[in-house]
Amino acid sequence: MDTGLILYTAAFGLILIGSAGIVLSTHLVRIIFGIALLEAGANLLLLLATFREGSPAPIIVGGRVPATMADPVPQALVLTAIVIGVGILALALSLALRVQRAYGTLDIREVRQRLEQDIVDEAGIELPSSSDAPQAMVSRQEGQA
Amino acid sequence: MNKLVLLVALPLITAFLLPVINRVSALAGRWSGPLILLITSALGISMWSQLGDSAVAVELGGFRPPLGITLYADQMAILFAVAASLGTLLLWPNTGEDRVRQSTLALILAASGSGLALSGDLFNIYVFYELIAVVSYGLIAAQASSGSYAATMRYLVVSSFGAAMALTGIALVYQATGTLNLAQLAQLAPTHLNNTQGLAAFVLMLIGFGVKAELFPVNTWVPEVYATAPTRISGLLAGVVSKLALLIIVRLLVLVFHQPEALTVMLVLGIMGVITGELAAWRTRDFKRMIAFSSIGQLGIIFIAFAIPGKAGIFAGLAVALHHLVVKPALFLLAERWSGSLSSLAGAAKASPLAAALFILLALSLIGVPPLPGFWAKLLVLVELSEQAQPLYYLGAFVILAGAALEANYLFRVASRFYHPEKAQTPPAAHGIAELATASLLGAALVASVFVLTPLSAQIEGIATRAADAAHYIQTVNPEALP
Repeated sequence: MDTGLILYTAAFGLILIGSAGIVLSTHLVRIIFGIALLEAGANLLLLLATFREGSPAPIIVGGRVPATMADPVPQALVLTAIVIGVGILALALSLALRVQRAYGTLDIREVRQRLEQDIVDEAGIELPSSSDAPQAMVSRQEGQA
Repeated sequence: MNKLVLLVALPLITAFLLPVINRVSALAGRWSGPLILLITSALGISMWSQLGDSAVAVELGGFRPPLGITLYADQMAILFAVAASLGTLLLWPNTGEDRVRQSTLALILAASGSGLALSGDLFNIYVFYELIAVVSYGLIAAQASSGSYAATMRYLVVSSFGAAMALTGIALVYQATGTLNLAQLAQLAPTHLNNTQGLAAFVLMLIGFGVKAELFPVNTWVPEVYATAPTRISGLLAGVVSKLALLIIVRLLVLVFHQPEALTVMLVLGIMGVITGELAAWRTRDFKRMIAFSSIGQLGIIFIAFAIPGKAGIFAGLAVALHHLVVKPALFLLAERWSGSLSSLAGAAKASPLAAALFILLALSLIGVPPLPGFWAKLLVLVELSEQAQPLYYLGAFVILAGAALEANYLFRVASRFYHPEKAQTPPAAHGIAELATASLLGAALVASVFVLTPLSAQIEGIATRAADAAHYIQTVNPEALP
């Protein structure tokens, strides 16, 4: 297998693993790691866009221009994207800390429930209940017993 | 025309100097932000009138593309750049203790919004888009309630996912063409991007930029954020930021992606947005989330409109977008005091008759009752949809009409509560003067536009015609390009 194919597989693999992590994980920190992996995959793909194996760095020494330089543009872009990604990662972790302090949990399902409850409490209405909701079923069974 | 740079640079510099200015003089710290936005808005409006039919392109630092970054301004770009400045000015966050920080964030939002509208480079667009995302996280979390932290967290996850998707799309585009300059992409697109890879890149970018535009599958953050964020920020996100994201998608469609499948994807997602948004709004029992869901529905209509091929679609979509740009922030300003359940609003018209009257005006326009401009905008979309003569476009027209019926149902339900003879036990407080004044201003603009609808319509059609002209874009950025 040539290097390009391995690297492309790695890039799409990282994107897939990251997306799956965001969608499937229930722990907030794991979801944030999923975002980091996804961004790494996207960055790698951008770098690979004009990747040529063994091409020299795009530096002109003594007026001699190498015939097949590496394309500097994606490298500059990826550098920017990495910086943005790190900034957002830090912000996400600090927000997760705030969420943990507010709700005492990092389980995204519980956070969602508490958030829904918060919104509903503030508006002064009741949670929309359906007869299939687990809580409603439990209370109905208790009522029968 | 280097004044163009000032639209981005001025608010950005002020934002970073603001903590220092505030230390020197609290008064200057308080007023320098709004003042700068007033200046940039005036600058933008004067440029708009100078520009006329033409367009200008500025190469930053004198570097030619593809290495340099281009700013491109036609009337549509300036219009949205001014909307970003003016919108932030009207919805300026007014809070006590961390005023400086919030003002800084609001200024960065205005700067990056203008930058997003003016940018002619795909990667630059991505950077400004991320900048808007980060400052909006800060502005939402500024509410400093447990709910707002959790909502921001969930928003951040969806938004970061979208941004990574957009970046993947950008990587695919660069891989196929070797440039990210929109004008060069427009030249290369017919030969390099008219394939599956191009379509994949478009869908990825549609999902990425669609997060802010409340596109159907990636809009889960909308009700949570708008229910917990400060209402002015909700108005800003729903009114202005969503339109900026739409502008990017329209530019991509006009310049780069010409596949018919791209329009079909947008049409289907738009239809789903209208259906889900309007049904959820109809079912909701609190005021804030009701207008949050209704904005998903309205943006669905805009996506359906932009899915109509050619200039007609841009004209219709622009009409609905501008209408929504005026109406939704006003509704969120009214929600400042009406955040509770719908039943607690009974008899609220007694406490604040002007606010109730404004709500009814905005609601009528949102539903599309003539002679208000909402009617004209929706009519444009429906007429263009019916001319497409394809089943999916007919479905779109039907869904918009059904959505209007649902809108009428839930908005009139609220209106009838306002004039209910029995007051609620704890009637909501009267509106603050700042909220009411801004909402009245927006309402007055809505009513005024009724009287100038014919010239306004011609003006918007002109903007749409020039925005739909890809050859003109290429010629402006790169005069040597062969037509």
